[in-house]
Amino acid sequence: MRKVEVTIVGAALIAIALAPLGLKNYGIYLLTLWCVYVMAGMGLNLTVGYAGQMSIGHAAFVGIGAYTAAILMKLGWSFWLVLPAAALLCFAVGLVLGFPALRVQHHYLAFATLGFNVLMFLFFRNEEWLTGGTFGISGIPRPPLFDRSGAYFYFTYGSTLVLALALAWIIRSPWGRAFAALRDNPIRAESLGVNIMAYTLLAFAIGAAFAGIAGAYFASLVEFIEPAPFSLTSSLMMLLMVIVGGSGRFFGPMLGAAIVVLLPEWLRVMKDWYLVMFGLAVVALMIWLPGGLLSIPERLRRA
Amino acid sequence: MDGVSFAVAPGEIVGVIGPNGSGKTTLFNAILGQIRPTSGHMEFCGEDITGMSPLELARRGVGRTFQTLQVFGKLSVRDNLIVAAQEFKGTLPSRLFAPPDAGLGKHADEMIELFRLQPVAHLPAGSLSYGQQKLIDIAMAFMPKPRLVLLDEPCAGVNPALVEQLRELLMTLNKTQGGSFVVIEHNMDFIMRLCPRVICMVEGRVLAEGRPDEVQLNRAVLEAYLGN
Repeated sequence: MRKVEVTIVGAALIAIALAPLGLKNYGIYLLTLWCVYVMAGMGLNLTVGYAGQMSIGHAAFVGIGAYTAAILMKLGWSFWLVLPAAALLCFAVGLVLGFPALRVQHHYLAFATLGFNVLMFLFFRNEEWLTGGTFGISGIPRPPLFDRSGAYFYFTYGSTLVLALALAWIIRSPWGRAFAALRDNPIRAESLGVNIMAYTLLAFAIGAAFAGIAGAYFASLVEFIEPAPFSLTSSLMMLLMVIVGGSGRFFGPMLGAAIVVLLPEWLRVMKDWYLVMFGLAVVALMIWLPGGLLSIPERLRRA
Repeated sequence: MDGVSFAVAPGEIVGVIGPNGSGKTTLFNAILGQIRPTSGHMEFCGEDITGMSPLELARRGVGRTFQTLQVFGKLSVRDNLIVAAQEFKGTLPSRLFAPPDAGLGKHADEMIELFRLQPVAHLPAGSLSYGQQKLIDIAMAFMPKPRLVLLDEPCAGVNPALVEQLRELLMTLNKTQGGSFVVIEHNMDFIMRLCPRVICMVEGRVLAEGRPDEVQLNRAVLEAYLGN
């Protein structure tokens, strides 16, 4: 990173850390929700942006993570055990979902992941004995010491930074370069010894594990879960976060999540028109900035 | 293809010529496992490699280039070269904890210098000219120091000055790395000056084989391919 980028990122990190001091409970809740979406978005960015695999089923993994956390914590498991359990379960399911990607690509893969999301949504809604169905699961505890909203925000924020460092490690390692090769030209990559099958499955599995972790934090944040937040619409919103911020750019999901989570709140003053304005803003962005908001500096340099 | 049979000695450069549709690229695709022959087999260093996947062949030291440009457009030139060899170092889990350049930075820099790509080494490969991308494309194939390289029309779309640079580079790499090359090419001057042995294919069969000057004077070759 260049000096100016380090300065901007450092200032943003400090500003976010100080933000709860001037916010009420709902503001802190939104900021924590942003952290949760950043965690999930970073995973999706790895799958879609870095490895070039299409996925519109990411909310299903957040759901698996959330329900795993909720069910196990209600059984008395500690949050510290629940977190790896949610991540590992999503990693395993992500590996399985990666298999269609070995046979189909682009919009066919999009439909395969869409089907997975619909399937999981029906599972969350209909398997009442496990998930509580449409009544959901309530009374989900937060980890001890972090049960107040401010403390839970700092806990989630710290965890988001740890996950961001883990993602940075992956991307800087030879794995990151192999993911980019898989995205840019899988046929050439294979001829150079890149194991397409392994990296495709890993791209889905790691992305899913990030979503699973986000799900566990989400469950403790809202303390009540039901199927709606894990629907296909949520998956599309997560994909939108990645694309709006800048797909395949490290800070893309951070910015994208801020837009998708916070912009509708700021636009609420427009009452019934806010969704229309939000929709128009997204359409305009896709037309004039297909590389996402983080492509603006490059566009300005080229202009 | 029908009855195509030839051997390539260690360190040898063999040219494959023939008119469009004569089966040259099909020959490469059969060797590289992208199509499975209905009969016959291919051996590499005493091992039957018929029908092996490109990945298995790459691991055995068989490299290739394609007729069209095949670089990783968003990666820098240096990263293109590193990724071309990194998968041959260590195991998949160990590469997650390897240094970012996978210990290949020095080798990549040497290749960049050999191919005279220093001024663009840190630019995205996709942003460069066709000729520069062609050089990257070929340099990538040689990064893992393969024992056999199949080059499919390395001179296609390349200006005469670069053709000569490519010929010199291939001669240098043949000497320094010691691998065998099989080169498909339509540029007769290039192939006659690069390859001590040439195979001419027509309609899926080997029409003539021998020294470039012999093949060039073969009446059947002249009629079928070279014309004048």
